[in-house]
Amino acid sequence: MRRSVVAAASYLGPDGWGNDQTGLHPWPSSLEVSAHRGELEGIHWSMVSDTDPSRFARMDPMCRLGLMAVEILRVDWDSMPEERRAAVGVCLETCVGSIDTDVRFLQTTRPSLFAYTLPSTLIGEVCIRYRLKGPALCLMGVVDDQSAALAEATEWIRDGDAEAAVCVGCEAVDAAVAASAGLPAGVWPVGGRAGALWLTEAEGAHPALGPTSEPVIAMARRLVLGRNSLAAV
Amino acid sequence: METATERASVNVAGCGAVTALGAGIGVLDESLRKGESGLFPVEVRMGPGHGMQRLVAGRVPESVVDRACDRLPEVGEDRAFRMATMAAREAFEQAGEFLQRTPSRRQGLVVSTTKASIDALERWIWKEPVSEAALARVQPGRFARDCALALGVTGPVQCVSAACISGLLALRQGAAMIQRGQADVVHVVGVDVLSAFVVAGFASLKSMDPEGCRPFDRRRVGLSLGEGAGAMVLMRGDRDVPGTRLIGWGISNDANHLTGPSRDGAGLALAMNRALAKAGRPGREVDCLHAHGTGTPYNDAMESLAFRTVFPDPMPSVVASKGALGHTLGAAGVLESIICVRAMELGLLPGTPRLGELDPVAPASMILKPTPKPGLRTIMKVNSGFGGTNAALVFERSHR
Repeated sequence: MRRSVVAAASYLGPDGWGNDQTGLHPWPSSLEVSAHRGELEGIHWSMVSDTDPSRFARMDPMCRLGLMAVEILRVDWDSMPEERRAAVGVCLETCVGSIDTDVRFLQTTRPSLFAYTLPSTLIGEVCIRYRLKGPALCLMGVVDDQSAALAEATEWIRDGDAEAAVCVGCEAVDAAVAASAGLPAGVWPVGGRAGALWLTEAEGAHPALGPTSEPVIAMARRLVLGRNSLAAV
Repeated sequence: METATERASVNVAGCGAVTALGAGIGVLDESLRKGESGLFPVEVRMGPGHGMQRLVAGRVPESVVDRACDRLPEVGEDRAFRMATMAAREAFEQAGEFLQRTPSRRQGLVVSTTKASIDALERWIWKEPVSEAALARVQPGRFARDCALALGVTGPVQCVSAACISGLLALRQGAAMIQRGQADVVHVVGVDVLSAFVVAGFASLKSMDPEGCRPFDRRRVGLSLGEGAGAMVLMRGDRDVPGTRLIGWGISNDANHLTGPSRDGAGLALAMNRALAKAGRPGREVDCLHAHGTGTPYNDAMESLAFRTVFPDPMPSVVASKGALGHTLGAAGVLESIICVRAMELGLLPGTPRLGELDPVAPASMILKPTPKPGLRTIMKVNSGFGGTNAALVFERSHR
C-alpha cells in the first residue's frame, strides 16, 4: 500500500501569497486594501510568476486564483517526463464554485464566459498548462464544512490510480459582481482565496499524511505560515 | 493496482429515473424496448425582454414534475430538487428490504450536477420571486446537503460537479465510499434542468442541432439538450449473488482544449483502458459500449477513434441514448448507466434513437434499433466533457 506526503504547499488570499519555502508575502500596498475588500480584478499573473501567462487573460477569477496557487507550488514540471504527468491527478474542492461567472454570464451572455460557468474548468486549465492526464475530480462542499478532497487524492495514490496529485481549493466571488446581483453573503462569501498541495508517494524523512478532513485552503495556509513545517504534517 | 476480484463488491440495488420519456423505470424500460425518443420542439423563456428560444430538447413534462412532492418546506418551483428526490425515492423503494435494515448513518449520498438549481439564480437576477432555500441550492454543495436531509441520509455526503462526466464520477465516488468502508449503501443522484442559462450557453457555442441530435449519423450537426434526474442505489454486496455490479472505472484528462475533445481520442482511450485494468477484464469480454454520443461532429468522431484504439477487433456492439433523453449534463452519466443496467436486466441492446444513416467514421457495430441480446453480461459506459475530461465505468451482470 502506497502512502502519501504533502511535498509542497501554496496559498494566496487577502493576507498575501507564498509557499512553504518562501512563507507569506504581503500584497503590495496598492493592492492590499482591494484584496481585503474582495476586489479580484487587480490580481495579475506577473505578481507571482515570470513564466508565460498564456490563457490567463481570458480566465475567470476562479481559474486565475486556482492556477496561480498551483504555479506558486513551484513544482519542477519541466523535468517531469510525460509518462509521469499522465499519472498525476488533480482534485479540486470549492464551495462557491463558479457563481461569480454564473452571474456575469446571466447578465451579459458573453459566449467566452460560458466555459467558465463550470467550476471543473479550473481542472481543465491546470491540466492544459502542466499537461496532466491523470484522474480528476471536482468536489463541491458547503462553506465552513469538512473537506474530502485531500482524503480523495491520498486514496488515488494508495490505490495506484495516481502517482502524485495536485489538490486545489479555490473560492472566488468578486465584491462588485456579488453587489451587482445582491447575492446573500451567508451563502456566497465575498473575496478570493486559493490553496494548493502537491502530494507525492511517501519517501525519505517526511511522515506520511494521516486521515484528515481539513480543507485544502486551510491546510495550505497553515503550512505556508509555518514555513518549512511540512515534516510536521 | 487492485482489481475487481480483490475489492469489496459494489452491487446495484435499485434505480430511479425522471426523464423526458416520463417518470419511473417501467416507463424507461418500455421506451428502451420501442427505441423511442423524448426529444420534441420546446420553447424556453430567456428572461424579461428576451422572449422565447425555440429548440428541440428533452424536457420533462410539467405533469411529471408536479407529481414530485417533498417533505422539505420551500421546495416550491425548484424543479431540480423535485426531480432529484423523486428519482431517489424510486431507487430507494427498489432497493427494498436491505436498505431498510441499513442505519441511516451507514448510508451515503453522492449528488452529480453541473448547475443544480440554476433556474433559481435566473429568477433572482431577473428580479422575480424565488425562495431563499431554492437560491441557496444554486450552490451544488447545499443542494446535496438538502437532498440528504430529504432522504434521511446521515452518512457521508459529496457533490461532484465535473461537466458531462459528473454522473460517472459520482458513481465512482459512491463505489469508493463502499470499498473504503465509509458506507454500506450509497445513493447516487444525478440531476440538471433545462434552463435559459444552459440554452444560452450552448446556443452561444452554436453546438445545438436545430432538428434534434443525431448521434453517429452522417448528417449530424450538434447536440440536443435534455433534463432529468437519475438515481442509483449502490450497496456493499456479494459477488456470488446474481445481480449487476460496478466493477471498474477509469478517469483521464486530454490536457488539450477546454470545450472541444482531443481529435485523436487518446484521452478517452486512456480512461477506457484504465477502467478495464481496474475491472480486471480483457476488452474481449465487453459485450457492449454505451457511448457519450452527443451528436456533435467532433465528439462522435473522437469517440469512434477511441473505441477502435481500445477494441481494434472485434469491436463490441455500440449504442447511445442522447437521441432518447437529450444531453442531460450532470444527470447524463447516472441516467445512461441506469440504461446499461436495465439493458442487462432486460437482455436488450437498446439501440441508438434518432440515428438514421450511419457515418462512415462510426463503428460498424453501432446498433440502430432495439435488439434482443439474452445473456448480455458486460457493458462499458463512457462520457467526455468540457475541460478535456473523460470517464469510463464497467458494469457486469451475473445471470446465475
